[in-house]
Amino acid sequence: MRIRVCHLYPDVLNLYGDRGNLLVFHRRAQWRGIELDVDQFLLGDRGDFSSYDFIFMGGGADSRRTLLLKNLEIIAPYIVDAVEKGTVLLAIGLGFQLLGRYIKTEDGDVMVGAGVFDAYTEMDSSRSVGDILLEATADLQEELKKAGNMDITTLIGFENHSGRTYLGEQGKALGRVIKGKGNNGKDRTEGAYYKNAFGTFLHGPVLAKNPHFADLLLVKALSPQEEISLEPLDDSLEILAHNTMKKRLIR
Amino acid sequence: MNKNSINKGFRFWLAFYAGRFSVFLCRLFRLSGTSLPGAVALRICPQLLFYLASAYEKIIAVTGTNGKTTTTNLITYYLRQAGVPVIGNGEGANMITGVVTALIKDCNFFGAAQSRTVVLEVDEGSVGKILPAVKPDLIVVTNYFRDQLDRYSELDHIITLLRNTIDGLPETELLLNADDPLVVAVGRGRPAVRYYGVEVEKDCKEPEKNEIREGGFCPECGELLVYNYYHYGQLGDYRCTKCSFKRPEADFVALDVDDSDLLHFTLHVQNKNSSIDLHSQLRGFYNVYNILAASAAALIISIPEQSIEASLPDYSTATGRLEQFIYHGRLCTLALIKNPIGVNEVMKTILPQEGKKAFLIAINDLAGDGKDVSWLWDADFEKLNHPMISKVVCSGRRAAEMAVRLKYAGLATSKIVLEPGCRESLDVLGLQQVDQYYILASYTSLFNYAKLLRKMGKAVAKDADQGLPSLS
Repeated sequence: MRIRVCHLYPDVLNLYGDRGNLLVFHRRAQWRGIELDVDQFLLGDRGDFSSYDFIFMGGGADSRRTLLLKNLEIIAPYIVDAVEKGTVLLAIGLGFQLLGRYIKTEDGDVMVGAGVFDAYTEMDSSRSVGDILLEATADLQEELKKAGNMDITTLIGFENHSGRTYLGEQGKALGRVIKGKGNNGKDRTEGAYYKNAFGTFLHGPVLAKNPHFADLLLVKALSPQEEISLEPLDDSLEILAHNTMKKRLIR
Repeated sequence: MNKNSINKGFRFWLAFYAGRFSVFLCRLFRLSGTSLPGAVALRICPQLLFYLASAYEKIIAVTGTNGKTTTTNLITYYLRQAGVPVIGNGEGANMITGVVTALIKDCNFFGAAQSRTVVLEVDEGSVGKILPAVKPDLIVVTNYFRDQLDRYSELDHIITLLRNTIDGLPETELLLNADDPLVVAVGRGRPAVRYYGVEVEKDCKEPEKNEIREGGFCPECGELLVYNYYHYGQLGDYRCTKCSFKRPEADFVALDVDDSDLLHFTLHVQNKNSSIDLHSQLRGFYNVYNILAASAAALIISIPEQSIEASLPDYSTATGRLEQFIYHGRLCTLALIKNPIGVNEVMKTILPQEGKKAFLIAINDLAGDGKDVSWLWDADFEKLNHPMISKVVCSGRRAAEMAVRLKYAGLATSKIVLEPGCRESLDVLGLQQVDQYYILASYTSLFNYAKLLRKMGKAVAKDADQGLPSLS
């Protein structure tokens, strides 16, 4: 078995240990005998995404937003197309904001995003920084339990983002905030998902802190349509780390 | 910049004596008291730092991400060895409260400063508060790497902050690291800028594959930078592919660097065309930059070349800067780790050392450490996946997350031990039958390990007279 991975803009989107997500994804595949091919897609690169099973975008500095959007504009239709066909996608922080419908700057300028998620961001001086704990959205809970074989439905991370992101009418949140700020600090939503595409503000890296989420992405990347099950791993360390933080956060 | 004639007024004196009294109370109750007296005094008189600083003839400030403490301590040491009365905040408190505390302590009972020169380590997030108040004669900038992003959000913010701050200080001279494009960007368009840098004979040093790198883009035009060689991180010989931005010619150049063990290199001073032979007890390539920056700063403030050359060999390291102990009959090295580049450089320095090794890695997530520990994933811990490393004990508030990091770095889980307690983790380390122990500790746990190691083992060649056990 083989999974083809596209790492989108690792030259710019590489903050807060986000590249660790691919390491976690890679190892968890490898431990089950699944091979991974990773292509780096850099600024200025062109091409379509139809041959990939998993597209990953990390977080980055806000000052790179304009540069990124200029590049993203060209490839956005291909990303949308891939997501429509069931390709798995994970976008963190700025990556997530760029894949929304638009970003409105503090000066009131509207910058058009890739439109993968029905979400939009309004920049202001607010910044959300700290540990965050979510309860995954109901639809996802069952999938998470099954994929990870761990009976965990919470997600943990460290958020560090500016501005406020809101979901549109069609937008579904990744989870409900138990502790922390989430998308906008108001409606307790965090992240977004659409088909097999996930956006979130959780750093940590999110897949290291949430092995069940990593396995869910792995399952979907292997088989976007039907459910399959993965060989269980010894996740005692990962689960201990997850539960230690969870306990601290709900105390 | 002696402004002794400034009328200080009632608030100043009230604040000053409140600060003095707090220093006294801290001593009485055996508190460390490196920040509290300053905090109390600043409450009463927010302009206190301006008044206190006006008493000094010369003020040098050191800022940047890594190397601030070593550079500050070494400049202070050079001055002291040359007979200059000098004070600094070498006790590790590098925010405004710590700076004020240090200056209050330097005053006698009547508020008169005892020293003539101040060397300040300035937290990169505090430059906006400290620098305008003290108006330094010289600012040394070491480097910019990602660090404590929970406090600083993004590196860009920190660099912009310094840039905006020095716009209000047109007379201040800058001493910048020529090898770091992010630091060089700070000095753009300023008249009094001098640079230091490391030059290598080999024209191509390939970048480490796993190393996370900042910048990469031209601060002038945003185009990609290309490199002739890298030292580490984004430090190296770079130029822009589109505009004229490139590594500036250094005024103080490190040549013929030997970092195979104790550091040795030649410092060439361009404008005098003279060279000094520098031998140090410090290890690690990154310390070449600290020694180079400190020596250049000392030269700028007219410390003679001979004095620098003669005093450097006796300078030893501060707490947790590859400090050595004997523990359970074995050499045990204690190192502060706080950001990816810092860890990578520490690992590069210690891993080539001979023998079987056991590690202890202590990760806390308090304000002093950085509350976000995701940086562990930007550091190249893959290096610890090595046959000569038999055990890694993980401790601290984020022990489990450190253990997970190591598991994904490829270490067998049988090599990873989880022991969150400080004392307990040290006990586990002491059971390992290896040749050398290494302890890598984040800021808030470093002191605890240093204290325990002094009690349970003994320190090797402790810094006797500079007495600056500083930390960040």
